[in-house]
Amino acid sequence: MTRVKIEDKELEVDLTEEEVKYINKNLKSNPSSTELGMFDVMWSEHCSYKSSRPKLKLFEDAEKNYDYVLAGPGQDAGVIDIGDGYALAFRIESHNHPSAIEPYHGAATGIGGIIRDILCMGVRPIALLDPLRFGTLKDNPHSQWLFKYVVKGIADYGNCTGIPTIGGEVEFDESFENNCLVNVACIGLGTIEDFKHAPSRAYNPGDYVILMGGSTGRDGIHGVTFASRTLTEQSEEDRPAVQIGDPFTKKLIIEATLEAIKTGYVRGLKDLGGGGLSCALSELTGDGGTGARIDMNKIFIREPGMIPFEIMLSESQERMAFVVNPEGLDEVLSIFQKFEMVHAVIGRIDDSKVLKVYDGDNLVVELPAKALSESPVEEREEKKPSYLDNLIKEKTPELTIPLEEVIYKLTGSENICSKEWIYRQYDHEVGVRSIVKCGDGDAGVLRIIDTNKFIAASVGANSKHCYLDPFNGAKANLVEVCGNVIAQGAKPLAMVNCCNFGNPEKPESYWYFSQSVKGMAEFCKKLRIPVVGGNVSFYNEDEVTKTAIKPTPTIMIVGLIEGREKIITLPFKNAGNDILLIGQTFPELGGSEYHSVIHNIDGGISPKVKDETIEARWKMFRELYENDLVKANHDVNKGGFVITIAEMCFKNELGADLDLSVLDLSQISNDELLFSESAGRFIIETNEDDYDKIMSIANKYKVSVYKIGKVSQNPFIIINGLEKETIDLDVQKMKKLHTSTIPDYMEI
Amino acid sequence: MTIKVAVIQFPGSNCDLDTIHVLNNVMNLEANLIWHNDFKGDKYDVAVLPGGFSFGDYLRSGIIAAHSPALDEAREMLRDDKPIIGICNGFQILTEAQLLPGALLQNDSLKFICKWIKIKVENNSTAFTNKMENGFIIDIPIAHGEGRYFTDKAEELEENDQIVFRYVDEKGNPTIDGNPNGSLDNIAGVCDLEQKCLGLMPHPERASEQILSPYHTDHGRLFFESMIDFINRRS
Amino acid sequence: MGLKDFIVEIVLQNKEKAKDPVGATIQRDLIAKKGYANISNVRSGQYLRISVEANDKEEAKQNVVDMANDLRIFNPVTQNLTILNVTVKS
Repeated sequence: MTRVKIEDKELEVDLTEEEVKYINKNLKSNPSSTELGMFDVMWSEHCSYKSSRPKLKLFEDAEKNYDYVLAGPGQDAGVIDIGDGYALAFRIESHNHPSAIEPYHGAATGIGGIIRDILCMGVRPIALLDPLRFGTLKDNPHSQWLFKYVVKGIADYGNCTGIPTIGGEVEFDESFENNCLVNVACIGLGTIEDFKHAPSRAYNPGDYVILMGGSTGRDGIHGVTFASRTLTEQSEEDRPAVQIGDPFTKKLIIEATLEAIKTGYVRGLKDLGGGGLSCALSELTGDGGTGARIDMNKIFIREPGMIPFEIMLSESQERMAFVVNPEGLDEVLSIFQKFEMVHAVIGRIDDSKVLKVYDGDNLVVELPAKALSESPVEEREEKKPSYLDNLIKEKTPELTIPLEEVIYKLTGSENICSKEWIYRQYDHEVGVRSIVKCGDGDAGVLRIIDTNKFIAASVGANSKHCYLDPFNGAKANLVEVCGNVIAQGAKPLAMVNCCNFGNPEKPESYWYFSQSVKGMAEFCKKLRIPVVGGNVSFYNEDEVTKTAIKPTPTIMIVGLIEGREKIITLPFKNAGNDILLIGQTFPELGGSEYHSVIHNIDGGISPKVKDETIEARWKMFRELYENDLVKANHDVNKGGFVITIAEMCFKNELGADLDLSVLDLSQISNDELLFSESAGRFIIETNEDDYDKIMSIANKYKVSVYKIGKVSQNPFIIINGLEKETIDLDVQKMKKLHTSTIPDYMEI
Repeated sequence: MTIKVAVIQFPGSNCDLDTIHVLNNVMNLEANLIWHNDFKGDKYDVAVLPGGFSFGDYLRSGIIAAHSPALDEAREMLRDDKPIIGICNGFQILTEAQLLPGALLQNDSLKFICKWIKIKVENNSTAFTNKMENGFIIDIPIAHGEGRYFTDKAEELEENDQIVFRYVDEKGNPTIDGNPNGSLDNIAGVCDLEQKCLGLMPHPERASEQILSPYHTDHGRLFFESMIDFINRRS
Repeated sequence: MGLKDFIVEIVLQNKEKAKDPVGATIQRDLIAKKGYANISNVRSGQYLRISVEANDKEEAKQNVVDMANDLRIFNPVTQNLTILNVTVKS
């Protein structure tokens, strides 16, 4: 907080003293209170990325290095060319802080925001995916309350706007109890022409600026600075900063915007999110190399008596700014009239490179168009937390219960159990594109109507692994989420991320962020996955309990499947088929579900990633797929590979006869073998006649492939070949445990 | 002759484009998407009220759209013996406009449900079911928060053959297990006395292509094939 | 003085300064379009009628307010609670 004397008043701003000095010296001496307020919001962590920018530079320049990337980081969404004239846009961002105090509207307006980001790339939003984090549900009414209303908020908003929620991910861990994470991702589809029509820049002097959508009220003023501050008890007073979502208006905005773009007269498009009109106008003109003259009195105001500062910084939802060719002004306005959307021509673009805002005859803002987006970078200190070395040394306690009991417990654990309770509430079919249904695959699969192309998309993070080793944890998460789309038969095309961390002013929190970004950047470069967008959410910690959340670099991977017959699903298909385990299992129980559920410990050695090994497996899969050798595929994730096999048995109520003596058991204990979450492994179902062919492909790429058993008609999983015991699991009992956990907590 | 199909777009409709896709690309018809204020019934042979959240479902699902001039046009069409189908939100609109009996209340689970379920054909003589066998079991998805059918005239509906579909379980029986939302007597769809106006909560347009069905069925086509047959026979 | 039965009627609404899309849509797309020009504003809410045993009206009211706060019957972030009426159950 800095106190600034302005227009004879003392104002409190979040800008640092250095920033205020910098503004006075380089951008505007004696700024007005409105101008200073604009800097205050635009230079907040949330809008300016001032702490994260130095590290985000580690990601390659996607637009330069990948010919199919049409828009990379820095734009509202990443956009790639998927062939046949189609462009795919996608982005992921956070809405953590609002959701932590008002889960329903916080989550709903999060969905609203991400839809706008995709829409302003000129394409139709066609899918939503939501990675979520909460405290554990058991005996915890607060976590249950957050969970219930976040899911309902997403459902009500997504369902009403007609955008299917095709996937998601949820993790329950104490560190999220008072700071839940609500990350929201959206995918949009359009022609490359549509995308090129509507840049988020204003290039042409003389074009009109139109504000369309909801009216401008006092809501969310300072909402962004609010999100950039750690949650304190004071947030209880900050409450009006959480907005009310209006999915009906959003639906009309989507249709009106897409219809307006089709006219060809829209030459610039920007949504109003954090920073409101200030942010939208400065980005349109600053990045377009133009300026603008805006008449504030034209803006449709919801509350009387709003002052310029409030109008420029209002974050009222459901608004879009259009830059329109004068020749088509009437045509565009008639579309807005048809949809009965509130709209107003609020000004014109000029070549002044200055943003001027008038209140009647009064000039209230006059700033270089680029000034607001040129915040100084904050260099932050980083330091490895001192507790980490001891945590990693933590040993797995002696197991005192039978392995069978462990597996049953894991099957019903909060992080492994079925998430059907969630996805039943989401309309995941609207749009008639959803091919692989929720629960039938690791990723959502959408068809591109009129082509033989399919998109697979998956989201995820692994907070527990990142807590122990953010560099490898972030990599292993990439391996896992890419594994999700690969398991469906897709080739990963691009990644977007959302980095959720603690307070960056604390060196330990910043170290986690820095290490995670380093891991992701290195892996993506090596495996040739362009990073086309990102979002950073810092300050995810609770001042009262002094705990930071576990570091959570969430990602979304989008992949492409060329042909309907190349889509692979998760459930086992036929008794008698082989079950193959791809990839080696290491003693890596750190951060595993086994450690947390059975032994209640966080520590240990977590999975490491060897980029070359992963690359070889992916190449092998491509060749297996080309030869149609895989009948079912599921990547190994939480709980280890027996859980993976069980999940493949559920749908068709099949079983598995396993003999693990084919694995090298000399260097690994039973619990390590069964429950380690070593990265990049898969369980696949194959025809026994194809075994030799598969092995010769595996050998070619030097991939470890183990034939560990067969699919059986009898719904039991029998595990032989371990030293001491035979494991005999009832699939029906497992399925019941798997599906009843969340309903048992939530349906009271 | 070319059958002229109108899909009426209300503010907040969201299955409109899906319905157009099925009618045009799957059924090879020439359906038009018409904004509700611009809809004129005399230009069309049949009208489809698609699913979605007209006017956000604010106040009560379907009530605000029921006051649209499009519903006056629809009434006129029925008088001219032209068929009308309301799917999901379209069904809610038709009941609120009192073109169909009964009401759709909040699901008994109090939650939105998106799921493939089964319905049984109870009346195959309507304009949209004449290509189905009575007793035939249809694979079809639902996606609604307010789909619990209620009427205080169940017996009357039964006598007049106005109950067209019932929710059934895996074995084809109208049991509690097969009832996803608590609908009275497992009713999933009803028609008017003349059997030309049909409303149902499940989505035929999502069940008209094998690629979309977990059972690789395309039972939804039967609705549109019946409709085509009805119009062709009538003209 | 013994316990008596009271009826406490409450309404939960979005805060006055917050948007109310439900009320706004009912007013704009239904009431105004059908010509009721004299009706300019509609706010929506949720009505609850609660039976409670207490010594007097004031206590009955306080019991309900405390319960509503405790159980998050409304979320003070976006909503407020109004007591419409407290009456003795007849």
